Amino acid sequence: MTEQYRTDIQDTPRPRRHLSPKGKWPRQATGYLMIAPAIIFLLLVIIYPLFEVFRLSFFEFTGLRDQTATFVGLKNFVSLMDDRIYWISMKNTLIFVIATVILHALIGLVFALALHQRWPSNRLRDLVRGLLILPWLFSMAAAGLVWALLLNALGPINYLLVASGILERAIDFLGDRDTALWALIAVNVWKSYPFYMIMLLGGLQTIPPDLYAAAKVDGADRWQRFAFITLPLMRSILVATTAIDFITTFGVFDLVRTLTNGGPARSTITLGYYTWLVGFRDVDFGYGAAISVSMLIIMSVAMWFYLRLGREMIYG
Amino acid sequence: MVSALGHLGRRLRMPRYLTIYGVITAILLAIGLIVVLFPIAWMVFASMRPLSETFGSPPAWFPREVTSTAYTKIFSDPRQLRYQFNTYIISLSTAILSVGLGALAAYGFSRFKIWGAEFILLSIMALQMLPGVSIIIPFYNLARRAGVWNTYLAMIMADTVFALAISIWLLKSYIDSIPTDLEEAAMVDGCNRFQSLYRIVLPLLAPGLVGTATFAFLYAWNDFVFATILRDGHDLMPMTVAIGNFFTQANRDWNAIMALNTMATLPLIAIFVFLQRWVIQGMTAGALKE
Repeated sequence: MTEQYRTDIQDTPRPRRHLSPKGKWPRQATGYLMIAPAIIFLLLVIIYPLFEVFRLSFFEFTGLRDQTATFVGLKNFVSLMDDRIYWISMKNTLIFVIATVILHALIGLVFALALHQRWPSNRLRDLVRGLLILPWLFSMAAAGLVWALLLNALGPINYLLVASGILERAIDFLGDRDTALWALIAVNVWKSYPFYMIMLLGGLQTIPPDLYAAAKVDGADRWQRFAFITLPLMRSILVATTAIDFITTFGVFDLVRTLTNGGPARSTITLGYYTWLVGFRDVDFGYGAAISVSMLIIMSVAMWFYLRLGREMIYG
Repeated sequence: MVSALGHLGRRLRMPRYLTIYGVITAILLAIGLIVVLFPIAWMVFASMRPLSETFGSPPAWFPREVTSTAYTKIFSDPRQLRYQFNTYIISLSTAILSVGLGALAAYGFSRFKIWGAEFILLSIMALQMLPGVSIIIPFYNLARRAGVWNTYLAMIMADTVFALAISIWLLKSYIDSIPTDLEEAAMVDGCNRFQSLYRIVLPLLAPGLVGTATFAFLYAWNDFVFATILRDGHDLMPMTVAIGNFFTQANRDWNAIMALNTMATLPLIAIFVFLQRWVIQGMTAGALKE
């Protein structure tokens, strides 16, 4: 995961002059020609919709079949401020994101450290690493349904909890307003923690072993070596990983749509799901776009943070 | 206690990993493996045994009676086959399209001086991280206006946008590692740029292309958001959405849900077994590297 995969921009080989065939065609033009299809595609299919979502958020749409748009300025955003469901969604989303990110980081770090130890056999380590990545291959919907079966009132988890006396009687985890959001968090933690494990493992492998040897000579114990070498050197990758996780988790939709549809009693409604509800059930594009814009603003703050760190990582 | 054990370990010349920390690590990993593998096993078990075993008290931890009812039901239902077909079509097309566009762009970024290349590459990566759900409304509008709503093309294009960023990054780092001398030699021998790309770089790039395609395939396979808003009805529905629909029905057919779930996941696990290195590389490519 180290040298071979580096994509540092600095390392890009400088194009050599004599590489160009002699001719009237300016050599750099070929380069632009080659990136053009991808760039045009991205401009059309993502930059334009991104611009469009901001524009739509200033309009009100009336009529189901033939939508007529009226410019209403900031009205949609003003309505958002007193929209109780919006704030419930915001609260649920933040609980979901923060709990997920913390649990992901802890579990990912523990497994990354475990896989980074000296193992009796490297083959065994690679096998365990492969097995621990498996949940990441599941789609959110598929992972959600597996856990819906496990967390069912008649399922094995309830059986074990009741049989061991932890619970008095079985709980329908997804059907109870106190537990439903946490059940979704559990599914997301199970499905996505391998991302952290792999990222952090890659980070651990870049720490020079000499540092640990030197610390050992100086009498640092295992915990001190972890606190004063591993953690500081892993800080940037840990922050970058959590920032990415924050952004991807912030848009949670699949899980909610598949498992709970926001219920029971709106206890699992998230911003992503609310956007879809407003846009596609109520067919209120302007208001839906306003919710999206509010999400994008919150995320770009995180993104700004992330890009700054990315730059620091690249240029040290 | 700890130091006594360590001392004992040294006295008995035990292997270095057999320390108290080694034991704790092993226990944690064992718990981790159970939590990871049990749900997967439970899914496969539930798909191939009577429901009474899955929901018994206590449930049967291993299948006693194996039936293929759920799978026979799926394979004899044209609709179910259609869902699978749709998923394959969308995923394969996304893989081909994003690798094609990605390889060309990656070559351009790697071998030519592009004005603002760093900014463009960082922006592409940032855009790719946006949750799809935040642009579903303009996506829907755009697809409607372009007349591609409720077509494979709409879903393929949406998935490609998100898979393309990773493709460009992965392939660029791969091309960066291929020496330019080979191409120079080919050009001295009279190849033009595209011939040298086709004859020299492409064969060397083959493993990179396979890996990148895998990643794009995986992304499209598991997409749910775009498949929800860019189509209607059952004709173009992929497996992810179909499984979800099963669940919302009043009478949950857990056998069928888990059979479909197994069939939606096993191909990915099979791919992963063969292309593990590439999947892992794709996972970390999203992070601008260490």
